[in-house]
Amino acid sequence: MAASLQEERKEQSSVADGEDEKPSNGEDEEDDGDEIEEEEEEEEEEEGEERQKPVPKESRTRLQREKMENLFRRISTERVPLRVHDVVIKGNTKTKDWLIEAEVEAIKNATTVQELLQAATIANARLHRLGIFDSVNITLDSGPPELPGTSNVIVEVVETKSPLTGDIGIFSKPEARSWSLEGSLKVKNLLGFGDLWDGSLSYGWDQTSEISAGVAFPRFKGWANPLLARLSLLSQDWLKFSSYKERVSGISLGLISSKNHDLAYNLSWRTLTDPSQMASRSVRRQLGHGLLSSIKYTFKIDQRNSHLRPTRGYAFVSTSQVGGLAPDHRCLRFLRQEFDLRYAFPLGFYHTALNFGVSCGVLFPWGRGFLNKPSPLPERFFLGGNSSPVCTLGGPTTLLGFKTRGLGPTEPRRQVRDNFDDESSDTYSGRDYVGGDLALTTFADISFDLPLRVFQEAGIHGHFFACAGNVTRLTENACRDLSFQKFRKSFRSSAGFGIIVPTKLFRMEVSFFPETGIYIKLSIWCPCVFNCCNEV
Amino acid sequence: MDEQVNQREEVTLVARKACFGLPTACPSCLPVYIYLKFAQTPFNLDFNLTYPDSDQIPYVESGTYVAYNNEKGGVIESLKEDGIVDLDSEVAGVPDWISTKAVVNTWLADALMYELWVGSNGSSAHKIYFSDLPWPIGKFLYFKQTRITKQLLGITKDNADRREEEIYGKATIAYGALATRLGDQSFFFENRPTSLDAVFLGHALFMLHAFPETSVLRSKLLEHSNLVRYADKLRTEFIEAGSSSSIPPSHADPLSSFARGGTSNWSSKPKSKPKKERTEEEKKFRRRAKYFLVTQLVAVLVFLSLLGGSHDAEVELDDDDYDD
Repeated sequence: MAASLQEERKEQSSVADGEDEKPSNGEDEEDDGDEIEEEEEEEEEEEGEERQKPVPKESRTRLQREKMENLFRRISTERVPLRVHDVVIKGNTKTKDWLIEAEVEAIKNATTVQELLQAATIANARLHRLGIFDSVNITLDSGPPELPGTSNVIVEVVETKSPLTGDIGIFSKPEARSWSLEGSLKVKNLLGFGDLWDGSLSYGWDQTSEISAGVAFPRFKGWANPLLARLSLLSQDWLKFSSYKERVSGISLGLISSKNHDLAYNLSWRTLTDPSQMASRSVRRQLGHGLLSSIKYTFKIDQRNSHLRPTRGYAFVSTSQVGGLAPDHRCLRFLRQEFDLRYAFPLGFYHTALNFGVSCGVLFPWGRGFLNKPSPLPERFFLGGNSSPVCTLGGPTTLLGFKTRGLGPTEPRRQVRDNFDDESSDTYSGRDYVGGDLALTTFADISFDLPLRVFQEAGIHGHFFACAGNVTRLTENACRDLSFQKFRKSFRSSAGFGIIVPTKLFRMEVSFFPETGIYIKLSIWCPCVFNCCNEV
Repeated sequence: MDEQVNQREEVTLVARKACFGLPTACPSCLPVYIYLKFAQTPFNLDFNLTYPDSDQIPYVESGTYVAYNNEKGGVIESLKEDGIVDLDSEVAGVPDWISTKAVVNTWLADALMYELWVGSNGSSAHKIYFSDLPWPIGKFLYFKQTRITKQLLGITKDNADRREEEIYGKATIAYGALATRLGDQSFFFENRPTSLDAVFLGHALFMLHAFPETSVLRSKLLEHSNLVRYADKLRTEFIEAGSSSSIPPSHADPLSSFARGGTSNWSSKPKSKPKKERTEEEKKFRRRAKYFLVTQLVAVLVFLSLLGGSHDAEVELDDDDYDD
């Protein structure tokens, strides 16, 4: 500690001054016996000097300990002024200095020891968060002797020896009722900008497959926000629910990404096809190619104490998306707005908490003749699926007790010649869920610990819940027929109770709905991470 | 809601966009349009502007019934097989008809595909298929379709000239044979329209209107004046005659044939004359009849006037004799 080192020097110098003063005082008092006394004193001084050689080390240690204790006492009781003279960066062979300096910028502005310690802790965490260093040490050293009250900060980093990492895992997607095998390779700090390059492959049985590659820069010179860019090729299969498959290939750029704000631009080529050739009329009309050029802004505040089982706090998310931001009027043009509000408060017994929330969304095309145009099918709101509304904050999508996309407007599918007279065909398989432009969902959930200690220690808890929701069309002049009474009357609701079993590898929910019976949902996240020691 | 239900029950042909003065400029869609016109089936025409590389288009829909282009040999064949519209019931077994249609569906179809995607500068294809898509997508799909066309026609860098000669040569032979077959008739077979007429008329109209005058294939078609006259005449009679979007308040409901899959209006013998000709002849006849009647009336009046004058003179002479 710089402060402690300076005090030692002062005390040592004061101790040295004190020793020098004693012999000068003795010589002035006597004349005759002075020589004898001088000799005696010289002998004593010699003996004293001989005795001081082993003693200074012990006393120095004791002195240092006392000084440290004094310092800590001072730090805890008062503000100890200090100024940072210089920040020295060591150990980075590839990583650019400006990147590390930017992460430890706050240290230079510290004016007290307390601020310096806090800034050093934060800087340490930020450097670790970059993910490109194996270790980060920040040492606070004393400043130059000619500048009292200053400190030098030494940042010593050890760059990762294994920049190539990968992981592979099996995950479940409850909304799609399918599983996916996901793997990714990551290369860290290829250019020395703290950049993270990754390529990932996700293969889902019957549903979604994706290949993507991306790069993330934590900052770039003067731009303090992280920059993200991602190329992706995504294929989603909705044949079972809505008789279409979606293929999207494009690029997304993350322009602003912070705790509360997220701004991203997306340019992608979207194709809707129907290999089954069974689609309903409105789905047939939407098949084909489209260019999506959109910007999406998300504002998020989440003050809940837990994302999985919140018992206190609130969350609010607003997502706005504008499509058609291109000079070409033939791009997909739409406006989409979503709101999510969640609130949780404890009830004071058995760790019980009441969660309630509301989510709503609206979608509308814009441009010439927008009243007669249909909204883009993939952008519409589809309600259904058994994702917990307590845990998800992604707009009006989920409604417990209903199948995936199981709520909302439907249209009859194509009937082939042989089935013309078959009136007993299953209505579910004979209709397409075409989604809606206005959606609203609400829920209330009471979670509580189970009485047995074994369950409580394992985190197994129960919950009662009730949900309601509705989705309707607005476009193609459907809004003319819409009224508040009609919308309210067509609400669907569900209620039930269940038990949640969270583990490290999966989360199981067993729910009972009086109308539909027992439903078991298994959310698996089973990643396996490996490192490759190939240096790039 | 009722209006939507009724709209869905109507017959709708979904095709690619109209341009070059044609109701639909796609060479796959135009024959279906003409076929429905020949059958006098009222239908609506909708356009799909965003799916140029789909083999499902054109398709005909009515309620939950859909006849796609890539099923059962095409929309026309689907409509025939499902008993919706069948213009070929009496010629389907005629060998000449079958071979003529095969020539049109192979040699002429290949030649048109070559001319549209490889032999020309692509402006016609751009206008028909990609003008409603954003530029990058349109460009990519155009190059993709050009590549597919070359693969289908077996064209490589080494044999490009030879294949072009072969394709144009076969088209020339086909045009000659068709011109000979048609002669001065109104239709190719039995003086009534069949699907062969629909397919060739679609081909001819596309060649004449969608390609520039510099097109080699177009010039080969123009060498046969009877084929050009045939195309212009039928275009005037069937395509420009009425709108397809309005459904007339018809006595016989052709929509019911889609619902129950029953026989169409064309299962019986065809009518002797088209409606347009009968109207003009009728006008001529009425005009002539009017002249005749007027002439007859004048003759009667003249006769009566002459006859009334001589009878009065005889009566005066008889009175003078009795007085002496």
